[in-house]
Amino acid sequence: MSQDRPSRLSRVLREPLVQFLALGALLFAAIAFANHLKRPVVRIDAAEIEQLATYWELQSQRPPTRAELSALIQERVDEELLAREAIRLGLDKDDMIVRRRLAQKMAFASEDIAAIPEPDEKTLQAYYDAHRDRYATPGRVAMRHLFFSRDRTGETPQAAAAAALARLEAGGTAGSDPSLLPLTYADVAETDLDRDYGPQFAAAVHGAAEGAWVGPVPSAYGLHLIRVERRLPPVFPPLAQVRDEVRAAWLAERRQDENRAFRTSLRKRYKVEIAGLPQ
Amino acid sequence: MKMRREVARYVIPAAVVGVLAGGTAIGAQVAQQKAAAPAAAPARPTAKAPGPATAPAAARLPGYNTDRNAYFGDLHVHTYLSFDAYIFNVRRTPDDAYAFAKGEAIGHAAGFDIRLQGGPLDFVAVTDHSEFMGAIREANDPHSPLSKLPVTQGLFSTDPKEINAAFTRVVTGFRDGTLPTEFSAPEVASRAWREVQDAAARNYAPGRFTTFVGYEFTSAPDGRNMHRNVIFRSAKVAGLPYTANQSRDPEDLWRTMDGWRAKGVEALAISHNSNGSDGMMFDTQRMNGKPLDKTYAELRMRNEPLVEISQIKGTSETHPSLSPNDEWANFEIMESYIGSPVKITKFAGGYVRRALEDGIIYRDKLGANPFKFGFVGGSDTHNAAPGSVEEPNYFSKTGRPDSRPELRGSTPPDGKKTWDGVDAGAAGGRYQAWGASGLAGVWAEENSREAIYTAMRRKETFATSGPRIKVRFFAGYDFPGDLLTRADTVRQAYAHGVPMGSDLLASRGRAPSFLVWAVRDPRGGYLQRAQVVKGWIENGQAKEKVFDVACSDGLKVGANGRCGDNGATVNLKTCEIDRFKGDVELRTVWKDPEFNPRQRAFYYVRVLENPSCRWSTWDALRNGTPPNPKLQPTIMERAWSSPIWFEPTA
Repeated sequence: MSQDRPSRLSRVLREPLVQFLALGALLFAAIAFANHLKRPVVRIDAAEIEQLATYWELQSQRPPTRAELSALIQERVDEELLAREAIRLGLDKDDMIVRRRLAQKMAFASEDIAAIPEPDEKTLQAYYDAHRDRYATPGRVAMRHLFFSRDRTGETPQAAAAAALARLEAGGTAGSDPSLLPLTYADVAETDLDRDYGPQFAAAVHGAAEGAWVGPVPSAYGLHLIRVERRLPPVFPPLAQVRDEVRAAWLAERRQDENRAFRTSLRKRYKVEIAGLPQ
Repeated sequence: MKMRREVARYVIPAAVVGVLAGGTAIGAQVAQQKAAAPAAAPARPTAKAPGPATAPAAARLPGYNTDRNAYFGDLHVHTYLSFDAYIFNVRRTPDDAYAFAKGEAIGHAAGFDIRLQGGPLDFVAVTDHSEFMGAIREANDPHSPLSKLPVTQGLFSTDPKEINAAFTRVVTGFRDGTLPTEFSAPEVASRAWREVQDAAARNYAPGRFTTFVGYEFTSAPDGRNMHRNVIFRSAKVAGLPYTANQSRDPEDLWRTMDGWRAKGVEALAISHNSNGSDGMMFDTQRMNGKPLDKTYAELRMRNEPLVEISQIKGTSETHPSLSPNDEWANFEIMESYIGSPVKITKFAGGYVRRALEDGIIYRDKLGANPFKFGFVGGSDTHNAAPGSVEEPNYFSKTGRPDSRPELRGSTPPDGKKTWDGVDAGAAGGRYQAWGASGLAGVWAEENSREAIYTAMRRKETFATSGPRIKVRFFAGYDFPGDLLTRADTVRQAYAHGVPMGSDLLASRGRAPSFLVWAVRDPRGGYLQRAQVVKGWIENGQAKEKVFDVACSDGLKVGANGRCGDNGATVNLKTCEIDRFKGDVELRTVWKDPEFNPRQRAFYYVRVLENPSCRWSTWDALRNGTPPNPKLQPTIMERAWSSPIWFEPTA
């Protein structure tokens, strides 16, 4: 009797199918356990929790309660899980927003990597010499002019100007129509004359010999006789006076060069193919 | 809830259009000006404005002129530091804005290059919105904590529709006060404010180009525009701007400015877009509901001597319903709220001429005039493009959303060649009602912060609708008889009279003479007529009248008080103007035929050009399509001098 009962159990155990199933179950459990052990880890570290709390505090003007913090953390975990799953499924591919953000991060990162050395005195001097005009006070003139308005009645501006010029050349004096703009300039830049009278007037002043009446020269208002009394050449300040500006300009240019070089180097590392364009 | 829905209903369709603000002002002053001119005392107007300064020769910059030069500038400029500009895809900096003003080309948000046709400006203030200054820019920097805020999602689209939605979301949040406080964090604002100051310092070139540090105070209670720009005299500026997030009541701003002044920080405010205030900018009661009083009038005048009379979002000189007898009142009128399609219902209190009239009535009632403003114009560009108010070279002002003619309603939609079947009145939304207008002029001895700021304080300023028309205006009792034909007309005018912006006191019942003198923009059209606009009090009622005082082409003022027709035309196929009509200069000495020495009055000059193509016609011409039939094909560009006030009792 007593032999019969265990023998039934052992018979079942000795059954190959049962053994196969049991082994299979064990194996399955072992593999599941192993998988469980090597699951990817989502870890929210102390620094990040601190940061979450800080953002929350910025917005709410008080520290989060324990429950609020816990909710924040769970939200952060959810976000991480969804993001990881999205990457696993390749949802980050072909997404304009993601791509743009990554490109932007790379651009920032490349600027940070390439630190630009402080320029030495020789470099600055060379840069200044190459761009002297940028820092110069432009050339100026002391001049007079007589104005013959397009609007004048009686004698035409042409005739009046010609008559006035003849008088001046004979050593006499001549009058001008009134002008809202000054008739004499102690010290005016040619760029200002170009702005106020137009390019022909400015060019005539530029080309005029000192101490002689020239004209008539047309402007936006009528005709002018011009007499340049004196020319003041452009003033180039010494480097020391504009050193900060020169340095800033040099650095900005170098930064631009570096950025361009970085993008060029990327083009070498990749083969760019554009549909419809010859390779 | 209801209010929020209301706001949303207005704001959402409005979308981008309403650039929330037209802010303005800037002004920076570089400290190291060698000639420390005496501080501009915000003194009460004196009987006689100070004549040209006689500073020691050593203090003078190149170009110094005792008779004063006209300088043109823009005191209303936004860059990527303004929250709305950034959303509109604008990435141009304060440095870019100064470069543009100096005549260089910069990139527009929609990808093309932009540049001034009319040559460099003389002075500029970058005036970004102080509310959330720099915050949206930082939100787009992945290193910044602001970029982690949910509200920043979708703020950086390049699609005009999404831009509009983002703009609406942020503006609604601004009005409701629901934007995250990080957007106003002091360290964010400090970084932006530092950038504004540094750019102003870097770009200031005394004698050639003046910069001012400034910002826009962007208050709009219930959407009513109460914006003003704050311009600082020098590099000594407030630690941070006083913003509409602190108070929407401009009185609080002015009191704060009083406080700054007590600490040696001098600034002035310039209100703008009163046309979008629905009667609130020059209202007869204060924002707190109390009536105007003398303290209010003095507080306002101490801090707000100027008004921006014209800009891209419309001209606020006067409205046809307020000035029915002014044939030229209907100029670039915008009749909706700023940033929304809500219609204005109250024009009185929103336009400058009526405010000047109310002001002289208050002068009698309160003993002080709260609305005694000088005039400037400004662009309110949000493209970092100061002075971009040239009709043939117009790209509107809000970055990508109004970057193409079709988007601003000047050409038919979807590449159509005609306007058949198109709702032309709705094309381009409210952008079609915007004008290429607004430039500031000042008469100053030299191009420096001290000289230009002092000119603004004494209101020796003028406004134009874009062209660089120069206008002078003097009043006096003893001008020499040959004033107009002398070589030293201006010196005589200063010696025997007061310039624009001043008070003229009574002189034993004598009638004053007015010197009116305008000269064309050398690159613009020809002048057609000069007018004097007069406002006065008669039996306690304000009256106004527009006198033609100088006519072009040898024409005379007829019995109807108007210049004869000079017959100037515009070729609408080519936009060519008539070269043989109009004058290069208009000048006259005028006496008021209705002068009454017992009546308080003000006078200002308005100069009109011959008609020329409006920007919308230029757009259509380039597109090879007919101009939008709902828009005026031509406009008459103009300049306005600051007023002279006749004060029978001091």
